[in-house]
Amino acid sequence: MIPLGFFVFLSAFLFCVGIYGALTRRNVIGILISIELILNAANINLVAFNKYLAPKDALGQVFSLFVIAIAAAASVVGLVLIIAIYRNAKTLFTDGFTLMKE
Amino acid sequence: MNEVMFYFIAAGVCIFSVLAVTQRDIFHCALWLAMTLLSVAGIYFYLDAPFLGVVQILVYIGGIITLFVFAIKLTAHIGYKSIRQTSKQWAIAAFITTILLCILIRVFATNPWSKMVLNVAPASMTQIGNSLMTNYAVPFEFMSVILLAAMVGAIVIGKDK
Repeated sequence: MIPLGFFVFLSAFLFCVGIYGALTRRNVIGILISIELILNAANINLVAFNKYLAPKDALGQVFSLFVIAIAAAASVVGLVLIIAIYRNAKTLFTDGFTLMKE
Repeated sequence: MNEVMFYFIAAGVCIFSVLAVTQRDIFHCALWLAMTLLSVAGIYFYLDAPFLGVVQILVYIGGIITLFVFAIKLTAHIGYKSIRQTSKQWAIAAFITTILLCILIRVFATNPWSKMVLNVAPASMTQIGNSLMTNYAVPFEFMSVILLAAMVGAIVIGKDK
């Protein structure tokens, strides 16, 4: 059987990849993709700890459901915002968004 | 056999997630993200959480990836393949995240629970439903309010003047 640590390592790796993407991407959609990766890393942790440490009440799975719902809401609003910004600025790159400076 | 399965899925998660943040074409990134989410759903199935795995496939791959693809196709007038997709600070960002990963793994590896192996029965789907309808009914209802607010907000923001 796989020890609990392996799942936590996997989630830490996914989290770091997400952080790297959010830091380096110039495209806003790329940043949203990275944020989805980070939320999935949190979900893996919740489910793994739920299964290994407290399987009696399914608290971790319930919380993961909430995280998935929040992520869906966040990405919907984020993508609509991106489309709205694209209509005005005609770009998707973060260095092109200088509307507030002008 | 089970262990081999886990390493297979975990390798998929690692490779696909790295591809999702490093590919140049943003459309390919969205497809690699779909593969990553599918692998994470595999992890959920492996962890005896089939309901969560199905929800992951339905909501993420069925809903969110579709939204991503729509958003990319609605905005893709720029020649994505020719434009650099990462900022100039990618090297220092990679350095910092590698250090962060090392610190995290070091901390987790020295903890006693990290070597813990499973010896209890998994939670059933009935328990999830009971928790959602009894102890966590209020957050569950708030979730529907949040989803409604997101839907209304998306319509209002996305509406053309």
